[in-house]
Amino acid sequence: MAAPLLEIKDLVTVFHTSDGRLPAVDGVSLSIERGQTLGLVGESGCGKSVTAMSTLRLVSSPGRIESGSIMFTTEGESIDLVTTPEKQLRKVRGGRIGMIFQEPMTSLNPVFTIGNQIAEAVQLHRKVSRSEARSRALEMLHLVRLADPEQRLDAYPHQLSGGMRQRVMIAIALACEPDLIIADEPTTALDVTIQAQILELLDDLRSRLGTAILLITHDLGVVAETCDDVAVMYAGRIVEQASAVELFSRPLHPYTIGLLQARPNVDARDSGPLATIPGMVPPPQDFPSGCRFHPRCSHAREPQCNVEPPSLREVSPGHFVRCHFAEEINS
Amino acid sequence: MSEQNPQTDPPLLQVKGLETHFPIRKGLLRRQVGSVKAVDGVTFDIPRGKTLGLVGESGCGKTTVGRSLLRLVEPTGGEVLFDNHAVRKENARSLRSLRRRMQIVFQDPYGSLNPRMKIRSILEEGLILHRLGEGSARLEQMEQALERTGLSPAVLERYPHEFSGGQRQRIAIARALVLKPEFLVLDEPVSALDVSIQAQVINLLKELKQELGLTYLFISHDLSVVEYLADNVAVMYLGQIVESAEAGQLCQQPLHPYTLALFSAVPSVEVKNRRQRIVLAGDVPSPSRPPAGCRFHPRCPLAETVCREVEPPQVDLAGHRFHCHVASRELERCGGDAAKTSVVMQAAITAATSDSTEPHSAVSQRMSLDHQ
Repeated sequence: MAAPLLEIKDLVTVFHTSDGRLPAVDGVSLSIERGQTLGLVGESGCGKSVTAMSTLRLVSSPGRIESGSIMFTTEGESIDLVTTPEKQLRKVRGGRIGMIFQEPMTSLNPVFTIGNQIAEAVQLHRKVSRSEARSRALEMLHLVRLADPEQRLDAYPHQLSGGMRQRVMIAIALACEPDLIIADEPTTALDVTIQAQILELLDDLRSRLGTAILLITHDLGVVAETCDDVAVMYAGRIVEQASAVELFSRPLHPYTIGLLQARPNVDARDSGPLATIPGMVPPPQDFPSGCRFHPRCSHAREPQCNVEPPSLREVSPGHFVRCHFAEEINS
Repeated sequence: MSEQNPQTDPPLLQVKGLETHFPIRKGLLRRQVGSVKAVDGVTFDIPRGKTLGLVGESGCGKTTVGRSLLRLVEPTGGEVLFDNHAVRKENARSLRSLRRRMQIVFQDPYGSLNPRMKIRSILEEGLILHRLGEGSARLEQMEQALERTGLSPAVLERYPHEFSGGQRQRIAIARALVLKPEFLVLDEPVSALDVSIQAQVINLLKELKQELGLTYLFISHDLSVVEYLADNVAVMYLGQIVESAEAGQLCQQPLHPYTLALFSAVPSVEVKNRRQRIVLAGDVPSPSRPPAGCRFHPRCPLAETVCREVEPPQVDLAGHRFHCHVASRELERCGGDAAKTSVVMQAAITAATSDSTEPHSAVSQRMSLDHQ
C-alpha cells in the first residue's frame, strides 16, 4: 500500500505564554489519501486551526511544534514538513499544498489587482513569463467560475463580493495544481446560498483535478455534505474519527452526540428544549485531568473518567473513539 | 398574559409598508444622486406573545427592519404601530417611554457591551435613563434580570472582558430584560456562538418567552434556528418580504423559489440521503439599483418574461403569503393546493438547475407528476 498523501503523527503544538506551556494541539494523528476530503470539526479553541497551521509550519511565536511528524508524499517522495528546511518548505506552501483561509476580506492584499495576486502565486512556483502567468490567472478565474473573468482580472478585492473573493482565494490556492488544499472555515463568512456555490465548486474541483482537501469547520452540516472522512476535535485531541456515513449514522462519543443533538431544527420544536452540553470548552491552561470532556459529560463515571485519559480506540473497522464507555453508552 | 384572543386583540406590533432608504450623496454640494433601498415596503404583524422569525442573507435589509422599528435608524416611509402607538409620530419624550417596552439584543456580544463599564453600570444605565427604581430596588431588579438569564449576581462587579461569548450574550439579554420590556428585537443573537453554547442561549430565549410572555422579532440568517424558535417566519430578499407563513407551513410547503433555494442550501447532517442541492447563480444585487419586475428574477431558475417586467402581486393563501408569478400560476393549476404546488415548484427548480440543456418548465413537471 502506498503511503497516504499526508500523514500527521502525534502532532503536539504548544504555546509558551505567561500561563505556562499550553498544548493547543496535543497528540493529533490524521491521514488523507489522494483525492479525498477529510473534515476536521470542533468548536472554537479546540485546536483545529492550529493543526492546519502546523501542517504548513505557519504557527507563529510563541507557538511551536514540539513533537510529531507530518509526512507529505508526492511523486513517490516523502518529506517531513516538521523538519524539512525552510527553503524547501516554501516550495511546498502554495505549490504542492494550497491554503484557503476563513476571511476572504483580509487574506487578499487590497492594493493589488486579483490578476496580479494569482499571477504572483504562479510566478513564485513556476518559471513562467509575466504574460504566461497572467493567462494562467485568467484560466484559473474561468475554472472557479467567476463571472466576467476578463474584466475581473484587473479588479481590486474591494470591488468583489465575499463569495467572489472566496473564489479568487480558491483560484490562488489552485493556481499551481496542488495535491492538497487546506481550507480553514472557507464558507463561514458567507451566506448559505453562496456557501452552497463554494462547496459545490470545491467538490467539483476535487473530482476533476484529484486534489485532496483538508476541510476545517465548526459546521457539522457542511462536513456531512462534503467529506469522505471526519475527525472531531475537542480540547486539543481527536475524540472521534470515522467515515462521514458511519459518524453521522452511528456517532459514539458523547461530545459528537451532544453536538448533533444541539442542532436546532423544526422537528425538535415541539419536543421541549434543545439538548445542550453544559459548561463550555476549557482553555488549554484548564484542561481537565483524565478525559478532557468529563466535566461536561453526562455519562462520566468516577474514578475512570476523571483520572485515566482514554485512548483513541478502534471500536469497529475504521471507527475510532476516545471514550472509556463508548460501547456501553450506545448499546 | 399570553392567553389572549387573537380575534379581538390587535397584534402588539403592526408594520405597514415600512420603507427605510439611505441617501447616496455625491459631489461638492452633497446632492442626493440616489438611494439605497434597504427596506422597501415591508408589512407584517406580530401578535402578543408570538415570535416572528425574519430570515434572509446579508444585505437583504433584515437588520435595518429591526432597527427601524425602534427608530434606531429613521424609517423614510410606512407605518409602525406598537400597541396602537404610531412609533414614527412619537416625539422624543414619548418615544423614550415606548422604547422601555421594546428592547434590542445585538449580534456581536463583543461589540455591544462597553468594555470600560462594569456589568452593574451596563445594566443600571437603562434604569437611570428611564428613572426606574432607586437604590436597593434597582439592585434587586438587576439581580432578578441576571438570575433570569442564568447568571449570578456576583457578576455585577466584573467587566465584560472576563466573560465568554455565551455569557456576554446573557448579559446583553439581561440588560434588555431589566427594563421589563414586552417586545424584544433579537438581531442574530446566537450567530456568533459555538453550537453547544448556541443551544443554551436558544433554550434561554424560549424559556423567557414562555415565562414572561415576551414577543420577539427574531432576525437570523440561520434557517434551522428560526424554524426551531419562531411561530411565524418571513423570508426577506433585497428589501422586501418574498414569502411568509406559519413556521411549520413554510418549512414543509415553501412556494417561493428563493425560499426553496434557501432551504436546500442549508447543510444537513443526514448523510444517507444527500438532497439535491439547489445552487443559485450569482450574488444578491445592490439594493441601490434593484432589478425591475420581480427582484429575484436575475437569480431565479424559473424566471419568465413576465418576471422581468411586472412586480409580482401578493398572493394570500390563508395566511401563507408570497410574491411570485410562477408559483401563483402553479397554485391556480393545482387548485389552490399548497402542498402539491410546493412539490411542483421544487421539482421544476431542481430540473432547471441540475440540467440546463433539457427543456424544462414548471408545466411539464406538473404533467409528469399528474401521471404518477
